[in-house]
Amino acid sequence: MLLSNRLPEVHVRQKAFHRIGFAAMLVVLILETYGYSQAPAPADKAFAPARLGDGQPDLQGVYTRTGVKALEAEPPDNPIDPSGKNPLSVSNRGDGLGPYPGVFGQVGTVLRGTGQRAQRRTGIVDPPDRKLPWKPEEDAKRRQFLLQMNPPIDLRHVELNARCALPGPFEGEDNANPYTILQKPGEVAILYDYNHTSRVIHLDRKEHLGANIRLFMGDSIGHWEGNTLVVDTTNFNGRIAYSRELPYLTDALHLTERFTVADENTIDYEVTIDDSKLFTKPWKVAGYFSRSPAGTESLEFACAEGTQTLQNIFGVPPAR
Amino acid sequence: MSAQAPTIKRTPDGKPDLNGVWQVLNTAAWDIQDHGGQLGIPPGQGVVEGNEIPYLPAAAAKKQQNFANRAVADPEAQCFMPGVPRATYMPYPFEIVQSKGTMAIRYEYGHAVRVIYMDGSKHPEGLPSTWMGDSRGRWEGDTLVVDVKNFNDQTWFDRAGNHHSDALHVIERYTLSSPDHIQYEATIEDPKVFSRPWKMAMPIYRRVEKNVKLLEYECVFYLQEEKYKNAPFK
Repeated sequence: MLLSNRLPEVHVRQKAFHRIGFAAMLVVLILETYGYSQAPAPADKAFAPARLGDGQPDLQGVYTRTGVKALEAEPPDNPIDPSGKNPLSVSNRGDGLGPYPGVFGQVGTVLRGTGQRAQRRTGIVDPPDRKLPWKPEEDAKRRQFLLQMNPPIDLRHVELNARCALPGPFEGEDNANPYTILQKPGEVAILYDYNHTSRVIHLDRKEHLGANIRLFMGDSIGHWEGNTLVVDTTNFNGRIAYSRELPYLTDALHLTERFTVADENTIDYEVTIDDSKLFTKPWKVAGYFSRSPAGTESLEFACAEGTQTLQNIFGVPPAR
Repeated sequence: MSAQAPTIKRTPDGKPDLNGVWQVLNTAAWDIQDHGGQLGIPPGQGVVEGNEIPYLPAAAAKKQQNFANRAVADPEAQCFMPGVPRATYMPYPFEIVQSKGTMAIRYEYGHAVRVIYMDGSKHPEGLPSTWMGDSRGRWEGDTLVVDVKNFNDQTWFDRAGNHHSDALHVIERYTLSSPDHIQYEATIEDPKVFSRPWKMAMPIYRRVEKNVKLLEYECVFYLQEEKYKNAPFK
């Protein structure tokens, strides 16, 4: 069975590790020890997050995401990297570079709050058997599409991330480059280190953009229900992937995401993926965000500026 | 010292509230100095103080060379991240996200982003150089001052070939001069390229349209669609 972790060489980078130093290491160590030595705690219903001036629960900080990019039951082979050694894969350049910089070293450290002692939900949670409710003909098309991705028969069959385009909400990274969440009145902004992506969730709008405006990141409108930020996203452009095994979602995609502040260091995440052109009914994925140690900073992730992937695959385009 | 309009919005901690979507209305993206019109190039008065850029001799020659080769040599032609301050005056809007300890600027062009740390921290040492620089901000009265360093030598200031080295140091000043205007200044230091620091300045306008939202200008994606539409080539 293939692992869903597509970029094992990319890790969370801690620019400010020298500034945290031993004290933070100790804190992490204590939390880890505590976490593993205690019985699971009940769910953190009582957790009361700090509030911002406009009343929003404060979920700002730097986090690493876990569990969102998950495999369905009976997945097709990972088309790009079945052996982990595919020279066409952007992840496997001989020099270790490619568009994904591997220069920052160590596996990211995350803080684990009290809630981490409870089992967190990850991966496809609905349906429970992880069999996605594909329309049979669409699943067949998808599997055919995957077979034409390596080598790609044309530009349309190049995985989106290899093109350094905005990745959509899912194709940021799990257990790797972190996410910075900022809030201001009327808005929550999520900055992915991955390919300097960002999305904003508007809290002060009621209507989505016009139907002719189509976006990689979609148009997100949110509201708070207690400690949960509920986000409705439409206006997708039909080009984004969920994962390597699910290489496209359509412009009918409609997401409902729930970000729940579970404890001081954890945001639980659940997304309902409704794409009526591909599936007979919506399905759900869960995951969580774990706060990174104080001092963890965002680093620039240049992608388009260095990549030679398309030229390597297709040859040199004729001069224009 | 500054005579601020009393009507500007402030954040709960009393700082000027720069949140919003902003855009310049000038022609600095084409040429930061005075220039006449040409086909596809709007004429414009420059944004450089005194209109003179104090290039060292070799750097002045490189500027001329860049200008001659600009159609292919301009990093914008490759859709690369534009650097600072060029990102500010590209003809696309940007959004300031102002939170207490950290700010961010999201640029519509090429989804470039800067995170600006406001916690008094210094520029980290020993990191690889970057396209958008490392930004550390502070408040001087009602002016947001952002110190930007750790650039590579790959970005330009405009489509006319004005350039810098990896020794570039930019000091930006954002002053909310009215509820809907930022007076923007950028001081440019680069001893490898310029004989002295120099400055550019311009107003930035709030996009006051109701429900204005930053969209996506995915330059790289569009360029690939054009270049590789008939791929494979071999």
